[in-house]
Amino acid sequence: MINSQNISVKIGDKTLIESISFDITQGDYLCIVGPNGSGKSTLLKTLIGIMPIHSGTITIDSQTVSQFSHKQLAQRVSYVPQTGGSHLTFTVEEFVRMARYSHHHVFSEWQPHDHDMVENALDITECRPFRHRKMSTLSGGECQRVMIAAALAQDTPIMLLDEPTAFLDPHHQVAVHQLISKLNQQHHKTIIEVTHDINHAAHHARHVLALLGGKGLWHGKAEDFLDAARLKLLYQQDFLFVQHPQHNRLIALADES
Amino acid sequence: MSIRLKLILLTLFTALVMLASPWLDFSEAGSAEIQQMIIYELRIPRMLFGFIAGSGLALCGMVFQAMFRNPLATPFTLGVASGASLGAAISVYAGISFTILGLTATSLSAFAGALLAISFVYSISRFRFGFSGETLLLTGVAISFFFSSLILFIQYLSNVADSFQIIRWLMGSLTVVGYQELRQLLPFVGLTAIVIIYLSRELNLLMAGDEIASSRGVSVKYVRYALFFVTSLCVGAIVALCGPIGFVGMMVPHICRLIIGEDHRYLIPATLLFGGSFLVICDTLARLIIAPAELPVGVITTLLGGPFFLWLLMRYKSRH
Repeated sequence: MINSQNISVKIGDKTLIESISFDITQGDYLCIVGPNGSGKSTLLKTLIGIMPIHSGTITIDSQTVSQFSHKQLAQRVSYVPQTGGSHLTFTVEEFVRMARYSHHHVFSEWQPHDHDMVENALDITECRPFRHRKMSTLSGGECQRVMIAAALAQDTPIMLLDEPTAFLDPHHQVAVHQLISKLNQQHHKTIIEVTHDINHAAHHARHVLALLGGKGLWHGKAEDFLDAARLKLLYQQDFLFVQHPQHNRLIALADES
Repeated sequence: MSIRLKLILLTLFTALVMLASPWLDFSEAGSAEIQQMIIYELRIPRMLFGFIAGSGLALCGMVFQAMFRNPLATPFTLGVASGASLGAAISVYAGISFTILGLTATSLSAFAGALLAISFVYSISRFRFGFSGETLLLTGVAISFFFSSLILFIQYLSNVADSFQIIRWLMGSLTVVGYQELRQLLPFVGLTAIVIIYLSRELNLLMAGDEIASSRGVSVKYVRYALFFVTSLCVGAIVALCGPIGFVGMMVPHICRLIIGEDHRYLIPATLLFGGSFLVICDTLARLIIAPAELPVGVITTLLGGPFFLWLLMRYKSRH
C-alpha cells in the first residue's frame, strides 16, 4: 500500500532522513520509534506531502506521493498532529465537519453521506457529549479525541498519528490506545503512529520501525522488538525486562542504576 | 440566537444606517432644492463610497487575522497600508498620470507598494519558522516606520500645495463628488469579496494551522498567494482613493468574530455588512461633530481604534 525507496529529506545542508526504505501493507499497524531528533515526525510529514523529499520515492497505491494533488492525497491519508486545535474557537462539530473538505468542491452540497461520516466519527471517538463545545474549552484528552475524530471523518484508508498520547494522563492514554487498536482491527484502517512508548509499540502494533539519526535501524514484527542490545543502541540507555502480570509479555523498564 | 437571525438583524441595521445617514444634518441652511442636490449629488455617493471602502478594509483585515492567526495582524498593523501610501505619495510627487484599463497611476503604484510590503512581511514569516505574534507585529511596525519616513521625505521635497494635499490625504477621508470614485473602487472590492467567498472553507482550515490545513487537502501555498494578491489589490485601491483609514480592518472583523463566531461562511457576509455600515457611521460622525466643517474620517477611526488595539493586546497577551 505504501512503499518507500531510499528516501532522503534535507533542509539546507542538514540531512533529516537518510535513505530509508520500507513497505507497509494494507491493514498494518506500524509504530515508528526512536530518540528525539531521529526523524520520526519528518517521516510522517513526507507521507502527507508537507515535507518534500530530496531523493528516493514514496508511493501510495503505486502512485508517487508528489504526483497527487493536495486533495487526492487527503482522500488517502489523514494526519493527527502532536498538538493543535486547543486555540480554536470552532465548536467540536464544526471542526470535525471541516475535515470533509477533500470530498467537496466549492459549490457541492452537504450530502447525507457527509453527515453519516461526521456522526460516525463523533460516535467512535465518544466526542458526542461535548460536540457543541468550543475547542478552546476542552481538556487535553478531549482535544486529542476530537483531532482523531476529524481524521476519521476525513475517511481515509491510511491514518498517521504523531505521538497521540504524549500529553495525556494514564487513563486517557489507555483510552486513546484502545481507540487506535479499534480503528485498526474493526475499521480496517492502516495506522502509522509515532511514539516514545516502547511497550505500547511492542504490545499493540503489528510492526515497529526504529529510526536512529535519520536512518532506519530496524524494521520487524512488534513482538520481536524488545531486545536489550537493540534498545541500548537506540536510546543509549540500559533496560531491564519484567513480565506483565496480566498477559505475561515482556515489559522494558529503563535501568536507573 | 441563531447565526441566521444575527445576520438578518445585521442586514436590517445596515439598511437603517444607509437610510438615515444622508439625511442627518444639523444645519438647515439653504433652500429645499439645494438640500436635495446636496443629498443626491454629495451625500448618497459619499455614503455608498464609504460603504464599499469600509467593506473592503474589513474583509482584508479579516483575511490577515485568519492567515496569521492573530487578531492584531491587519494590513495596517503589518505595514501594507504604509506601503500603499508610499506608492501613492511617490506617484503624486512625480506627477505621473496615466490610465491603464481604468486604473490610475496612483492606484497602480499604491498596489505595487502594498505588494512590496506584503511580500516583505510574508518572506519574514516564512523563513523564520515558528515565529511569534510579537515578532510579526514588530516587523510590521518597523516597516510602517520606514515607509512613513520615506513619505515624510517626499513631502519635504514637495512644494506647499502638494505637501498639503499629501497630509490631507494621509489623514484618510471619503470626500467625493458624484459617482466617479465609486465606479473606480467597486471592481476591486467586488473581486476581493468574490475571491474571499470562494476561499471561505480554506480560510476556516487555515485557522487550524498550516499543517492541519495541508493534511486536509488545502493547497496552502496557492491559497496564501491568491489571498495576498487580492488583499494587496484591494488595500492599494482603497488607500489610493481615500488615504490610509486605519483600524477598520482590525475592529470590525474582531467584533464580528465575537458575535458570529469563526466560521468564515457566515463571518464574511457579516464583516462585509458591518465594515460598510461602520465606516458610514464614522463618516457621518466626522461630518456632524464640528459642522459645518468636517473632520477626516481617518481621525475618528483612529481615535476609536487606538484604545481598541490596546484592549485587544491585553486580551491577547493574557490568553498566550
